[in-house]
Amino acid sequence: MARTLNPRNDPNAPWYHLDPLVVIAPFGLAIVGLAAIYSTTRGTDPEAYRTFYLERQLVFVVLGVGVMVAAAVIDYQKLRALAPALYALGILSLVAVLSPLGSNVNGAQAWFNVGPFGLQPSEFMKLAVIVLLASYLSRFEGHLGLGRLVIALIVAAIPMGLIAMQPDVGTLLVFVAIVMGMFLVGGAQFRHIVALTLLGVGLVAFMVNSPVLEEYQRDRLTTFINPDLDAEGAGFNQEQAQIAIGNGGLTGQGYGEGDQTRSGLVPEQETDFIFTVVGEELGFVGSSLVLGLFALLIWRVWRAAQLAKDQFGTLLCVGIATMIVFQMFESIGMTAGIMPVTGIPLPFISYGGSSSLVSFMSVGLVLNVRMRRWQ
Amino acid sequence: MAVQDSQRFRLNLLGIVVLSLFAALFARLYYLQVLTEAEFQEAARTNVERVIPIQAPRGRILDTEGRVLVDNQTTLVVTVDAFVVRDQLTSPELRQDLSLRLARALSESGRLTKAADIRAELEDSKYGPFDKIPVAEGVTQEFKVWLLERQADFTGVEIQPVTVRYYPYGVAAAHVLGYIGPINESELELRASSLKAYQPFDDIGKAGVELAFEDVLRGVPGNQRLVVDARGNIVEYGEVTSPEPGNDIQLTIDIDLQVMAEQELVAGLERARLEIDSNGTGDFFNAPAGVTVILDPDGSAVLAMASYPSYDPRDFVEGISAEQFEVLVDESAGAPLNNRAIQGLYAPGSTFKPFTAYAAMNAGLISDRGALTQFSPLNDPGFFVLPGCDGGKCEFQNANRTPYGPVDLRAAITVSSDVYFYQLAWFFESFAGVRRESLQEGAEAFGFGTRTGVPLAYEADGLIPTPSLKEQRHEDFPEAFPEGRWFAGDTLNTAIGQGDMGVTPLQIANAYAVFANGGSLYSPSIAKASINPGTLQVELDYEPRLLNRLYMPAAVRDPIIDGLKGVPIDDRGTAREAFETFPNAQYPIAGKTGTSEKTGKSDFALFAAFGPADDPDYVIVTVLEEAGFGGEVAAPVVKQLFEAIALDAVPTAVPEDLDYLRQPNVLPVSSDEDPATDQQALAVDQEN
Repeated sequence: MARTLNPRNDPNAPWYHLDPLVVIAPFGLAIVGLAAIYSTTRGTDPEAYRTFYLERQLVFVVLGVGVMVAAAVIDYQKLRALAPALYALGILSLVAVLSPLGSNVNGAQAWFNVGPFGLQPSEFMKLAVIVLLASYLSRFEGHLGLGRLVIALIVAAIPMGLIAMQPDVGTLLVFVAIVMGMFLVGGAQFRHIVALTLLGVGLVAFMVNSPVLEEYQRDRLTTFINPDLDAEGAGFNQEQAQIAIGNGGLTGQGYGEGDQTRSGLVPEQETDFIFTVVGEELGFVGSSLVLGLFALLIWRVWRAAQLAKDQFGTLLCVGIATMIVFQMFESIGMTAGIMPVTGIPLPFISYGGSSSLVSFMSVGLVLNVRMRRWQ
Repeated sequence: MAVQDSQRFRLNLLGIVVLSLFAALFARLYYLQVLTEAEFQEAARTNVERVIPIQAPRGRILDTEGRVLVDNQTTLVVTVDAFVVRDQLTSPELRQDLSLRLARALSESGRLTKAADIRAELEDSKYGPFDKIPVAEGVTQEFKVWLLERQADFTGVEIQPVTVRYYPYGVAAAHVLGYIGPINESELELRASSLKAYQPFDDIGKAGVELAFEDVLRGVPGNQRLVVDARGNIVEYGEVTSPEPGNDIQLTIDIDLQVMAEQELVAGLERARLEIDSNGTGDFFNAPAGVTVILDPDGSAVLAMASYPSYDPRDFVEGISAEQFEVLVDESAGAPLNNRAIQGLYAPGSTFKPFTAYAAMNAGLISDRGALTQFSPLNDPGFFVLPGCDGGKCEFQNANRTPYGPVDLRAAITVSSDVYFYQLAWFFESFAGVRRESLQEGAEAFGFGTRTGVPLAYEADGLIPTPSLKEQRHEDFPEAFPEGRWFAGDTLNTAIGQGDMGVTPLQIANAYAVFANGGSLYSPSIAKASINPGTLQVELDYEPRLLNRLYMPAAVRDPIIDGLKGVPIDDRGTAREAFETFPNAQYPIAGKTGTSEKTGKSDFALFAAFGPADDPDYVIVTVLEEAGFGGEVAAPVVKQLFEAIALDAVPTAVPEDLDYLRQPNVLPVSSDEDPATDQQALAVDQEN
């Protein structure tokens, strides 16, 4: 079976160890995504369905595949040397996006307009931080004292601070998840992890009660705790999202037939709330399929982490796994009412260029680590 | 080895966390989609309660006698139901078809409308799914009937009554009344917590009384609750909360006086434009702009406030275009939107002399132990040479270098001797025991240099130059103000109201009111009451607000008032010619002319006066820009007004709609009448 993938039958060639599931699962998710995006953005006029979003997302997926191949081909060991430069480039772009060069969408100064497309540097920064942290933490073979931990924390805190200034709480939380996952596997002492967690909880409690967050962001966090508080605003969104998902039932309303999806009661339905389309139109069966594809992917990434030949590779895979898991959990969880509402795209499914490129690039790196486990 | 073990353990730990997250999601989705499915399907069918706001009528604006200056009027607006557009007009062709038919019908009814405009509105994303999209305003009743007969061809098209502002007296008092317009984002944010909730398409006061009394005029909007299913069909009509109309505001403005003041102001400017500026440009006077302010000196109620050029508040009723608005704020067109009475800064010229005189007496310069007494004559040869002057400007002259001979304080005011006041200024500079800045402090006690606090937005502070201000300005902007040192010449200019001094016409009027009422500085008021339109009860009485009590015994006040009384009647009085035919015996006037110089422009003419001089009821100030001498062009404007007042011949202002003339809708507020009597009187009025 595996032999067919490698025409030369050379067990030492990297391609021999390519994990097909790491490619298949994202493809499955991307197809579901394209279908859902078309359903929610085609409009209500059967004579003139719009394909604008569909076409653009198709372009993003094709570009994504190219990026995935590129990320898989170049030996990931070379990334060690590149990591500081990538990180510096990311920081520069995060600074630049706060300047008038960047533009503001939905209250976050997070975008560059590049021709007809928007570029979101914080998405790329996630990978840059994963690579640099993996490179740094792997130098100590699991012996992470407080000093090394603090340096690693600073590496993560600089981009997080810049993202907090946009402000983009969703992406900020993704960074928290990445850092915690990598510290855990990278060998941080458990008491440090506990202390960090307590610090994080304290910080969130402080932000909810302080003017750091924009009012609408605080609203979202507090309406999560009490959705009846605000029937027209954030609580309303979450309630409508849940109704959409519940309305799907076991087998769904049928593709293109969702009442909630059609009536525009759920906001941002092609991006952050995309899962409501899957939930309403494809039902529990469709939701389970998406969850299953994610589970398959994460299992294979986790396995790649286990099998990696060095800790650098392991930590790369761990960072990517926590990134994808957290985004999935938050994006689906908020539509299902078990997480607060923040704007995080669902990897491979949500509409968006930066998010799609970064997701495919990540699985490319995982392929890379896995392929080179014997080299 | 331990590291490997540890890492394996930690990876497993991570795997367990991830597994539990998946399990949580899976369980939650199973709960939502399988266990409680029916509940949500029900919710998706009948799930939304919509609250549709109902506008509350805005309060009216009344004049001092209760005559309506701003009313509400119903106009018919053609709307298209946004839900119908979304649900039935699903293709561009269908929308274009409706737009074309509607535009044709509207145009045939006499209201020219473009189909493209209608279509643009229909496709505008700012409207919510339950809004009624307005596509044409001010259509006729006949059109409404015509449309009702063809309702089948025009699904979703409705005619809605909408209230807009109506101005019975047209352009009169435009600057005082102000205007309303759609609320913008920053205003919306500012009033987010207002009790009288605002919606994105609501109107809000933008200027004048409409802005200053927004909270009084605005009503509390009501609402209608609707239950709507996911497809937007109304399933149930819920409870209705009725809107609460806003309160009426009764102004201190007397519309008769206001209209006359505006007419006399224009007449004065037109007269000036027929004269040639022989001292300055050598051409006809431009006289492009002017102001008249009339105050009641007891409490500083504003009775009239005219600013020219003006604008038509009716232009704002159906929305104003950006180009139209540009013209209204264009400086080269005289910025008609500016209320010069509170925003215009002028050098007061000789109208400032009474305040210099007061400062000199108050500082002890003119007293038995001072530099001179009020009766000591000073010789005025027509010019004043600054003692000890070495270089620069040393000689300061009267207008035309006219010599007035020996003048005392009274005569100096009457004939407007600059030399006398130059001499006073020199004493402020040099007299032992007198601080130089007691001159400026005297002016500030009369309210110059600080906003009067009249409840109208955008009022200017003005400026009384002092040595420290001059130095500060030079430090801040050395390019614009190359000189930071204070010279004796600056004090001389200040004493006669020239130089860098800037005051508003309202400040001048308010300061003269202090002389008129014997020493009380009030913050001018423009409204006297807020009236509940339902009960006609006065809910809020706006009392005069005392800012300052000045030390003003008869010994200080009388010589100044005597000097002012001479201005219109004395042989050498500067306004004698203007007041030649005035019945001064019955109605004595105390006034002061002023002519302020502005480099590169013709002189600005000022006249400030109050009457009757012994127990004043009115203070009137007129400023005419680039119009010549105060005595020649500004004094006649004030004289015309006082003449009408003295002879009780102020013409009744005529509203466009004579219904507004017949009966005041609310009786004048007076504190000794109880509201019940007012109501009875009103009932009688309405029977007539």
